[in-house]
Amino acid sequence: MDTEKTDNVCNEQVYSDIFKANSKTIYNYIYYKFGNEEKAYDAVQEAFVKLWENCGKVSPTRAKSFVYTVAKNLYLNVIKAEKVRLKYAEKSLKTTHETPEFLLEEEEFGKKLQRALDDLPENQRTTFLLNRIDGKKYAEIAEMEGVSIKAIEKRMHLALKSLREKIDGI
Amino acid sequence: MQENYLAKWLNGELTEAELLEFKKSSEYETYLRIAETSQQLEAPIYDEEKAFEALKNRQLLEEPKVVKLQPFKSFLRVAAVAALIMIGAFFYLQTLDESISTGVAENKEIKLPDNSVVSLNADSQITYDEGNWQEERDLKLNGEAFFKVAKGERFTVHTEQGKVSVLGTQFNVKQRSKLFIVDCFEGLVQVDFDGKTKKLSKGMSLSLIDGQLLESDNLEHLKPAWLAKESSFKSVPLKYVFEEFGRQYNMEVTTKNVDTQKLFTGTFSNTHKELALKSISVPSQIKFKLEGGKVLFYGE
Repeated sequence: MDTEKTDNVCNEQVYSDIFKANSKTIYNYIYYKFGNEEKAYDAVQEAFVKLWENCGKVSPTRAKSFVYTVAKNLYLNVIKAEKVRLKYAEKSLKTTHETPEFLLEEEEFGKKLQRALDDLPENQRTTFLLNRIDGKKYAEIAEMEGVSIKAIEKRMHLALKSLREKIDGI
Repeated sequence: MQENYLAKWLNGELTEAELLEFKKSSEYETYLRIAETSQQLEAPIYDEEKAFEALKNRQLLEEPKVVKLQPFKSFLRVAAVAALIMIGAFFYLQTLDESISTGVAENKEIKLPDNSVVSLNADSQITYDEGNWQEERDLKLNGEAFFKVAKGERFTVHTEQGKVSVLGTQFNVKQRSKLFIVDCFEGLVQVDFDGKTKKLSKGMSLSLIDGQLLESDNLEHLKPAWLAKESSFKSVPLKYVFEEFGRQYNMEVTTKNVDTQKLFTGTFSNTHKELALKSISVPSQIKFKLEGGKVLFYGE
Protein backbone atom coordinates (compact mmCIF):
# COMPACT_ATOMS: atom_id res chain seq x y z
CA MET A 1 0.00 0.00 0.00
CA ASP A 2 2.73 2.33 0.97
CA THR A 3 5.06 1.45 -1.85
CA GLU A 4 4.59 4.87 -3.44
CA LYS A 5 5.86 6.55 -0.31
CA THR A 6 8.74 4.25 0.56
CA ASP A 7 9.91 4.34 -3.03
CA ASN A 8 10.64 8.01 -2.70
CA VAL A 9 14.01 9.41 -1.60
CA CYS A 10 12.04 12.24 0.08
CA ASN A 11 10.88 9.63 2.57
CA GLU A 12 13.15 10.09 5.57
CA GLN A 13 13.62 6.37 6.18
CA VAL A 14 14.64 5.76 2.58
CA TYR A 15 16.93 8.76 2.68
CA SER A 16 18.53 7.69 5.94
CA ASP A 17 19.08 4.14 4.57
CA ILE A 18 20.82 5.52 1.51
CA PHE A 19 23.01 7.62 3.77
CA LYS A 20 23.96 4.64 5.96
CA ALA A 21 24.73 2.46 2.96
CA ASN A 22 26.94 4.97 1.15
CA SER A 23 28.27 7.79 3.30
CA LYS A 24 31.35 5.95 4.61
CA THR A 25 32.31 4.79 1.14
CA ILE A 26 31.91 8.28 -0.27
CA TYR A 27 34.08 9.60 2.52
CA ASN A 28 36.80 7.04 1.79
CA TYR A 29 36.42 7.45 -1.95
CA ILE A 30 37.10 11.21 -1.81
CA TYR A 31 39.82 10.66 0.76
CA TYR A 32 41.64 8.15 -1.47
CA LYS A 33 41.44 10.63 -4.29
CA PHE A 34 42.75 13.72 -2.52
CA GLY A 35 44.12 12.65 0.84
CA ASN A 36 42.19 15.38 2.67
CA GLU A 37 39.85 14.39 5.51
CA GLU A 38 38.04 17.72 5.64
CA LYS A 39 37.32 17.71 1.95
CA ALA A 40 36.09 14.15 2.19
CA TYR A 41 33.72 15.07 5.03
CA ASP A 42 32.41 18.12 3.16
CA ALA A 43 31.87 16.04 0.04
CA VAL A 44 29.60 13.68 1.98
CA GLN A 45 27.59 16.61 3.34
CA GLU A 46 27.34 18.28 -0.04
CA ALA A 47 26.33 15.10 -1.83
CA PHE A 48 23.52 14.33 0.61
CA VAL A 49 22.24 17.88 0.82
CA LYS A 50 21.97 17.82 -2.97
CA LEU A 51 20.23 14.46 -2.83
CA TRP A 52 17.66 15.87 -0.41
CA GLU A 53 17.12 18.93 -2.56
CA ASN A 54 16.52 16.69 -5.55
CA CYS A 55 14.78 13.87 -3.71
CA GLY A 56 11.69 14.24 -5.87
CA LYS A 57 13.66 13.81 -9.07
CA VAL A 58 16.10 11.04 -8.12
CA SER A 59 14.74 7.52 -7.81
CA PRO A 60 16.17 5.34 -5.00
CA THR A 61 17.90 3.12 -7.56
CA ARG A 62 19.72 6.10 -9.03
CA ALA A 63 20.44 7.74 -5.67
CA LYS A 64 23.75 5.92 -5.19
CA SER A 65 25.35 7.01 -8.43
CA PHE A 66 23.85 10.47 -7.88
CA VAL A 67 25.66 11.01 -4.58
CA TYR A 68 28.95 9.66 -5.96
CA THR A 69 28.72 11.96 -8.94
CA VAL A 70 28.00 15.01 -6.79
CA ALA A 71 30.88 14.19 -4.42
CA LYS A 72 33.27 13.55 -7.30
CA ASN A 73 32.31 16.68 -9.24
CA LEU A 74 32.58 18.88 -6.17
CA TYR A 75 36.35 18.90 -6.39
CA LEU A 76 36.72 18.62 -10.10
CA ASN A 77 39.72 20.80 -10.96
CA VAL A 78 39.61 22.34 -7.51
CA ILE A 79 42.12 20.69 -5.25
CA LYS A 80 45.46 19.10 -5.77
CA ALA A 81 45.91 15.68 -4.30
CA GLU A 82 47.66 15.61 -0.97
CA LYS A 83 49.51 12.70 0.55
CA VAL A 84 47.11 9.95 1.51
CA ARG A 85 47.90 8.86 5.03
CA LEU A 86 46.54 5.44 5.69
CA LYS A 87 46.95 3.52 8.89
CA TYR A 88 47.35 -0.11 9.65
CA ALA A 89 44.33 -1.67 11.20
CA GLU A 90 45.32 -1.84 14.85
CA LYS A 91 43.34 -4.91 15.83
CA SER A 92 45.12 -7.11 13.32
CA LEU A 93 48.44 -6.16 14.90
CA LYS A 94 47.25 -7.01 18.40
CA THR A 95 45.99 -10.45 17.48
CA THR A 96 49.14 -11.61 15.72
CA HIS A 97 51.58 -13.80 17.57
CA GLU A 98 54.52 -13.30 15.28
CA THR A 99 58.13 -12.79 16.32
CA PRO A 100 59.31 -9.21 16.90
CA GLU A 101 61.61 -9.51 13.88
CA PHE A 102 58.68 -10.48 11.70
CA LEU A 103 56.57 -7.60 13.02
CA LEU A 104 59.38 -5.15 12.37
CA GLU A 105 59.79 -6.45 8.87
CA GLU A 106 56.03 -6.29 8.41
CA GLU A 107 56.01 -2.64 9.53
CA GLU A 108 58.82 -1.89 7.12
CA PHE A 109 56.85 -3.44 4.29
CA GLY A 110 53.79 -1.41 5.29
CA LYS A 111 55.74 1.83 5.04
CA LYS A 112 57.06 0.87 1.62
CA LEU A 113 53.55 0.07 0.48
CA GLN A 114 52.28 3.44 1.70
CA ARG A 115 54.97 5.35 -0.15
CA ALA A 116 54.23 3.36 -3.27
CA LEU A 117 50.51 4.10 -2.89
CA ASP A 118 51.23 7.83 -2.60
CA ASP A 119 53.01 7.71 -5.91
CA LEU A 120 50.16 6.02 -7.77
CA PRO A 121 48.01 8.04 -10.14
CA GLU A 122 44.86 9.19 -8.37
CA ASN A 123 42.46 6.92 -10.29
CA GLN A 124 44.60 3.78 -9.75
CA ARG A 125 44.99 4.47 -6.03
CA THR A 126 41.27 5.12 -5.58
CA THR A 127 40.30 1.95 -7.40
CA PHE A 128 42.90 -0.17 -5.58
CA LEU A 129 41.96 1.07 -2.10
CA LEU A 130 38.21 0.86 -2.67
CA ASN A 131 38.75 -2.78 -3.50
CA ARG A 132 41.28 -3.61 -0.76
CA ILE A 133 39.97 -1.54 2.17
CA ASP A 134 36.27 -1.22 1.42
CA GLY A 135 35.98 -4.60 -0.29
CA LYS A 136 34.18 -3.08 -3.27
CA LYS A 137 33.69 -5.30 -6.29
CA TYR A 138 35.08 -4.12 -9.63
CA ALA A 139 31.54 -3.65 -10.90
CA GLU A 140 30.70 -1.31 -8.01
CA ILE A 141 33.83 0.75 -8.49
CA ALA A 142 33.08 0.96 -12.20
CA GLU A 143 29.65 2.36 -11.34
CA MET A 144 31.13 4.94 -8.95
CA GLU A 145 33.74 6.09 -11.38
CA GLY A 146 31.42 5.94 -14.34
CA VAL A 147 33.69 3.70 -16.41
CA SER A 148 33.58 0.08 -17.65
CA ILE A 149 34.51 -2.90 -15.49
CA LYS A 150 37.34 -3.59 -17.90
CA ALA A 151 38.77 -0.13 -17.27
CA ILE A 152 38.71 -0.85 -13.54
CA GLU A 153 40.48 -4.17 -14.08
CA LYS A 154 43.11 -2.33 -16.08
CA ARG A 155 43.60 0.16 -13.25
CA MET A 156 43.84 -2.64 -10.71
CA HIS A 157 46.39 -4.46 -12.82
CA LEU A 158 48.51 -1.36 -13.37
CA ALA A 159 48.25 -0.40 -9.69
CA LEU A 160 49.52 -3.81 -8.55
CA LYS A 161 52.29 -3.74 -11.12
CA SER A 162 53.55 -0.30 -10.08
CA LEU A 163 53.27 -1.13 -6.38
CA ARG A 164 55.37 -4.26 -6.76
CA GLU A 165 57.98 -2.51 -8.88
CA LYS A 166 58.26 0.28 -6.32
CA ILE A 167 58.50 -2.11 -3.37
CA ASP A 168 60.98 -4.45 -5.00
CA GLY A 169 62.98 -1.44 -5.99
CA ILE A 170 62.87 -1.90 -9.73
CA MET B 1 48.39 -14.99 -19.28
CA GLN B 2 45.13 -13.19 -19.93
CA GLU B 3 44.79 -9.44 -20.00
CA ASN B 4 44.91 -7.67 -16.62
CA TYR B 5 45.78 -10.97 -14.98
CA LEU B 6 46.76 -9.26 -11.72
CA ALA B 7 43.26 -7.89 -11.32
CA LYS B 8 41.81 -11.30 -12.22
CA TRP B 9 44.08 -12.97 -9.70
CA LEU B 10 42.95 -10.71 -6.86
CA ASN B 11 39.38 -11.52 -7.83
CA GLY B 12 40.09 -15.27 -7.97
CA GLU B 13 39.34 -15.44 -11.68
CA LEU B 14 42.57 -17.05 -12.95
CA THR B 15 42.41 -20.55 -14.41
CA GLU B 16 44.25 -23.21 -12.49
CA ALA B 17 47.03 -23.33 -15.07
CA GLU B 18 47.43 -19.58 -14.98
CA LEU B 19 47.50 -19.52 -11.19
CA LEU B 20 50.18 -22.21 -11.14
CA GLU B 21 52.31 -20.30 -13.59
CA PHE B 22 51.81 -17.04 -11.65
CA LYS B 23 52.77 -18.66 -8.34
CA LYS B 24 56.03 -19.85 -9.89
CA SER B 25 57.03 -16.34 -10.95
CA SER B 26 59.58 -14.45 -8.83
CA GLU B 27 57.21 -11.52 -8.36
CA TYR B 28 54.44 -13.61 -6.85
CA GLU B 29 55.63 -13.31 -3.25
CA THR B 30 55.57 -9.52 -3.27
CA TYR B 31 52.18 -9.47 -4.99
CA LEU B 32 50.80 -11.72 -2.29
CA ARG B 33 52.17 -9.48 0.44
CA ILE B 34 50.77 -6.39 -1.22
CA ALA B 35 47.36 -8.03 -1.43
CA GLU B 36 47.45 -9.10 2.21
CA THR B 37 48.96 -5.97 3.71
CA SER B 38 46.74 -3.61 1.77
CA GLN B 39 43.71 -5.35 3.24
CA GLN B 40 44.86 -4.37 6.71
CA LEU B 41 45.02 -0.69 5.86
CA GLU B 42 42.40 1.65 7.18
CA ALA B 43 41.07 5.00 6.08
CA PRO B 44 40.75 7.78 8.70
CA ILE B 45 38.07 7.34 11.32
CA TYR B 46 34.71 8.43 10.05
CA ASP B 47 31.83 9.07 12.45
CA GLU B 48 28.77 8.24 10.41
CA GLU B 49 26.23 9.23 13.07
CA LYS B 50 27.86 12.59 13.62
CA ALA B 51 27.91 13.21 9.89
CA PHE B 52 24.21 12.40 9.68
CA GLU B 53 23.43 14.75 12.58
CA ALA B 54 25.40 17.53 10.90
CA LEU B 55 23.52 16.87 7.69
CA LYS B 56 20.15 17.15 9.43
CA ASN B 57 21.19 20.41 11.08
CA ARG B 58 22.30 21.77 7.75
CA GLN B 59 18.99 20.89 6.19
CA LEU B 60 17.19 22.78 8.92
CA LEU B 61 19.29 25.83 8.17
CA GLU B 62 18.82 25.63 4.44
CA GLU B 63 15.61 26.72 2.81
CA PRO B 64 12.63 24.83 4.15
CA LYS B 65 11.73 21.99 1.87
CA VAL B 66 8.39 22.19 0.15
CA VAL B 67 6.64 19.02 1.14
CA LYS B 68 5.56 17.49 -2.13
CA LEU B 69 2.52 15.67 -0.77
CA GLN B 70 0.87 18.86 0.51
CA PRO B 71 1.93 21.59 -1.86
CA PHE B 72 -1.24 23.56 -1.23
CA LYS B 73 -0.70 23.70 2.52
CA SER B 74 2.62 25.46 2.19
CA PHE B 75 1.16 27.76 -0.44
CA LEU B 76 -1.52 28.76 2.05
CA ARG B 77 1.13 29.43 4.65
CA VAL B 78 3.01 31.73 2.30
CA ALA B 79 -0.21 33.41 1.23
CA ALA B 80 -1.25 33.99 4.83
CA VAL B 81 2.07 35.60 5.69
CA ALA B 82 1.93 37.76 2.57
CA ALA B 83 -1.62 38.84 3.38
CA LEU B 84 -0.64 39.77 6.92
CA ILE B 85 2.25 41.87 5.67
CA MET B 86 0.01 43.61 3.15
CA ILE B 87 -2.68 44.36 5.71
CA GLY B 88 -0.08 45.68 8.12
CA ALA B 89 1.49 47.83 5.45
CA PHE B 90 -1.92 49.18 4.43
CA PHE B 91 -2.79 50.32 7.95
CA TYR B 92 0.68 51.69 8.48
CA LEU B 93 0.53 53.71 5.28
CA GLN B 94 -2.93 54.95 6.24
CA THR B 95 -1.53 56.60 9.32
CA LEU B 96 1.27 58.23 7.37
CA ASP B 97 0.72 61.80 6.31
CA GLU B 98 0.29 62.77 2.71
CA SER B 99 3.23 64.82 1.53
CA ILE B 100 3.55 66.85 -1.66
CA SER B 101 6.59 68.79 -2.70
CA THR B 102 7.95 70.79 -5.62
CA GLY B 103 11.49 70.98 -6.90
CA VAL B 104 13.27 74.15 -7.90
CA ALA B 105 11.67 75.97 -10.83
CA GLU B 106 8.49 73.90 -10.37
CA ASN B 107 4.95 74.86 -9.38
CA LYS B 108 2.09 72.58 -8.42
CA GLU B 109 -1.60 72.94 -7.71
CA ILE B 110 -3.09 70.54 -5.17
CA LYS B 111 -6.76 70.01 -4.39
CA LEU B 112 -7.29 69.09 -0.75
CA PRO B 113 -10.05 66.66 0.34
CA ASP B 114 -12.42 69.59 1.10
CA ASN B 115 -11.84 71.16 -2.32
CA SER B 116 -9.57 73.82 -0.88
CA VAL B 117 -6.78 74.53 -3.35
CA VAL B 118 -3.11 74.90 -2.57
CA SER B 119 -0.70 76.31 -5.13
CA LEU B 120 2.85 75.38 -4.27
CA ASN B 121 5.68 77.65 -5.37
CA ALA B 122 9.11 76.28 -6.24
CA ASP B 123 11.10 74.17 -3.75
CA SER B 124 8.25 73.89 -1.25
CA GLN B 125 6.48 71.13 0.62
CA ILE B 126 3.15 70.58 2.34
CA THR B 127 2.28 67.68 4.59
CA TYR B 128 -1.20 66.81 5.82
CA ASP B 129 -3.26 63.96 7.17
CA GLU B 130 -5.63 62.96 4.43
CA GLY B 131 -7.75 60.58 6.47
CA ASN B 132 -8.40 63.08 9.20
CA TRP B 133 -8.84 66.10 6.97
CA GLN B 134 -12.56 66.73 7.49
CA GLU B 135 -12.13 66.97 11.25
CA GLU B 136 -8.88 68.80 11.34
CA ARG B 137 -7.81 71.02 8.50
CA ASP B 138 -4.19 71.20 9.54
CA LEU B 139 -1.19 71.19 7.26
CA LYS B 140 2.49 71.85 7.50
CA LEU B 141 4.19 74.16 5.06
CA ASN B 142 7.80 74.51 4.23
CA GLY B 143 8.31 77.14 1.54
CA GLU B 144 5.69 79.25 -0.19
CA ALA B 145 2.09 78.50 -1.07
CA PHE B 146 -1.13 80.24 -1.95
CA PHE B 147 -4.27 78.91 -0.33
CA LYS B 148 -7.83 79.17 -1.55
CA VAL B 149 -9.69 77.75 1.41
CA ALA B 150 -13.18 76.33 1.11
CA LYS B 151 -15.64 77.40 3.80
CA GLY B 152 -15.75 75.15 6.80
CA GLU B 153 -13.88 74.47 10.01
CA ARG B 154 -10.72 76.29 11.02
CA PHE B 155 -7.97 75.83 8.48
CA THR B 156 -4.46 76.02 9.87
CA VAL B 157 -1.10 76.26 8.17
CA HIS B 158 1.83 75.43 10.41
CA THR B 159 5.25 76.75 9.56
CA GLU B 160 8.50 76.82 11.43
CA GLN B 161 8.00 80.42 12.36
CA GLY B 162 4.31 80.64 13.10
CA LYS B 163 0.89 79.36 12.23
CA VAL B 164 -1.79 80.89 10.07
CA SER B 165 -5.44 80.05 10.68
CA VAL B 166 -8.51 81.02 8.71
CA LEU B 167 -12.12 80.11 8.35
CA GLY B 168 -12.35 80.40 4.59
CA THR B 169 -10.36 82.74 2.47
CA GLN B 170 -7.49 83.24 0.06
CA PHE B 171 -4.05 83.90 1.36
CA ASN B 172 -0.39 83.36 0.64
CA VAL B 173 2.18 82.11 3.09
CA LYS B 174 5.85 82.44 2.40
CA GLN B 175 8.29 80.89 4.81
CA ARG B 176 11.92 80.75 3.77
CA SER B 177 14.58 80.45 6.45
CA LYS B 178 14.25 83.72 8.42
CA LEU B 179 11.58 85.09 6.12
CA PHE B 180 7.90 84.74 6.98
CA ILE B 181 5.33 86.63 4.95
CA VAL B 182 1.56 86.23 5.01
CA ASP B 183 -0.63 88.04 2.48
CA CYS B 184 -4.39 88.00 2.89
CA PHE B 185 -6.35 88.37 -0.33
CA GLU B 186 -9.85 87.67 0.97
CA GLY B 187 -11.63 87.16 4.29
CA LEU B 188 -9.82 87.14 7.61
CA VAL B 189 -6.58 85.47 8.54
CA GLN B 190 -5.12 84.93 11.96
CA VAL B 191 -1.34 84.64 12.32
CA ASP B 192 0.27 83.26 15.44
CA PHE B 193 4.01 83.69 15.85
CA ASP B 194 6.46 84.27 18.71
CA GLY B 195 3.54 84.16 21.16
CA LYS B 196 1.81 87.03 19.36
CA THR B 197 -1.45 86.97 17.46
CA LYS B 198 -2.20 89.23 14.50
CA LYS B 199 -5.37 89.41 12.46
CA LEU B 200 -5.17 90.29 8.80
CA SER B 201 -8.13 91.30 6.73
CA LYS B 202 -8.42 91.59 2.97
CA GLY B 203 -5.51 93.46 1.38
CA MET B 204 -3.31 93.23 4.44
CA SER B 205 0.15 91.76 4.63
CA LEU B 206 2.43 90.78 7.46
CA SER B 207 6.11 90.09 7.15
CA LEU B 208 8.64 88.90 9.65
CA ILE B 209 12.11 89.28 8.20
CA ASP B 210 15.09 88.44 10.36
CA GLY B 211 12.93 89.09 13.43
CA GLN B 212 11.65 92.42 12.13
CA LEU B 213 7.88 92.72 11.95
CA LEU B 214 6.33 94.76 9.18
CA GLU B 215 2.66 95.20 8.48
CA SER B 216 1.08 96.83 5.47
CA ASP B 217 -2.47 97.22 4.20
CA ASN B 218 -2.03 98.00 0.58
CA LEU B 219 -1.73 94.73 -1.35
CA GLU B 220 -1.97 95.73 -4.99
CA HIS B 221 -3.08 92.45 -6.46
CA LEU B 222 -5.81 89.93 -5.86
CA LYS B 223 -3.43 87.04 -6.05
CA PRO B 224 0.23 86.55 -5.22
CA ALA B 225 2.59 87.64 -7.97
CA TRP B 226 4.20 84.22 -8.31
CA LEU B 227 0.98 82.75 -9.62
CA ALA B 228 1.43 85.15 -12.54
CA LYS B 229 5.00 83.91 -12.97
CA GLU B 230 6.55 86.82 -11.17
CA SER B 231 8.34 87.22 -7.86
CA SER B 232 7.38 90.34 -5.99
CA PHE B 233 9.11 91.91 -2.98
CA LYS B 234 8.37 94.78 -0.70
CA SER B 235 11.26 95.95 1.47
CA VAL B 236 12.91 92.57 1.56
CA PRO B 237 16.69 92.20 2.06
CA LEU B 238 18.49 91.44 -1.18
CA LYS B 239 19.72 88.06 0.10
CA TYR B 240 16.15 86.74 0.07
CA VAL B 241 15.67 88.15 -3.41
CA PHE B 242 18.78 86.32 -4.58
CA GLU B 243 17.59 83.14 -2.90
CA GLU B 244 14.23 83.37 -4.64
CA PHE B 245 15.95 83.98 -7.96
CA GLY B 246 18.05 80.87 -7.49
CA ARG B 247 14.94 78.90 -6.58
CA GLN B 248 12.98 80.01 -9.62
CA TYR B 249 15.76 79.44 -12.14
CA ASN B 250 17.58 76.56 -10.43
CA MET B 251 20.82 78.52 -10.29
CA GLU B 252 23.53 79.01 -7.76
CA VAL B 253 23.78 82.64 -6.73
CA THR B 254 26.98 84.20 -5.39
CA THR B 255 27.73 87.80 -4.51
CA LYS B 256 30.80 90.02 -4.27
CA ASN B 257 30.90 93.52 -2.80
CA VAL B 258 27.13 93.54 -2.43
CA ASP B 259 25.29 94.58 0.72
CA THR B 260 22.82 91.72 0.86
CA GLN B 261 20.91 93.34 3.73
CA LYS B 262 19.92 96.26 1.51
CA LEU B 263 16.16 96.33 1.08
CA PHE B 264 14.63 95.61 -2.25
CA THR B 265 11.22 96.53 -3.51
CA GLY B 266 10.21 95.32 -6.91
CA THR B 267 9.27 92.40 -9.07
CA PHE B 268 11.15 90.00 -11.32
CA SER B 269 9.91 87.62 -13.96
CA ASN B 270 10.02 83.90 -13.22
CA THR B 271 10.24 83.08 -16.89
CA HIS B 272 12.67 85.52 -18.52
CA LYS B 273 16.05 85.17 -16.93
CA GLU B 274 17.79 88.15 -18.55
CA LEU B 275 14.87 90.40 -17.73
CA ALA B 276 14.78 89.14 -14.16
CA LEU B 277 18.51 89.75 -13.70
CA LYS B 278 18.08 93.31 -14.90
CA SER B 279 15.04 93.82 -12.69
CA ILE B 280 17.16 92.95 -9.70
CA SER B 281 20.49 94.54 -10.61
CA VAL B 282 19.46 97.87 -12.13
CA PRO B 283 17.47 99.26 -9.18
CA SER B 284 20.08 97.93 -6.76
CA GLN B 285 22.89 99.45 -8.81
CA ILE B 286 24.86 96.25 -8.98
CA LYS B 287 26.13 94.17 -11.89
CA PHE B 288 25.82 90.49 -12.71
CA LYS B 289 27.74 87.86 -14.57
CA LEU B 290 26.23 84.61 -15.89
CA GLU B 291 28.39 81.52 -16.02
CA GLY B 292 26.74 78.17 -16.76
CA GLY B 293 24.39 77.35 -13.90
CA LYS B 294 25.82 80.12 -11.75
CA VAL B 295 25.24 83.82 -11.46
CA LEU B 296 27.46 86.35 -9.71
CA PHE B 297 26.09 89.66 -8.49
CA TYR B 298 28.87 92.13 -7.82
CA GLY B 299 29.31 95.74 -6.89
CA GLU B 300 32.05 98.09 -8.04
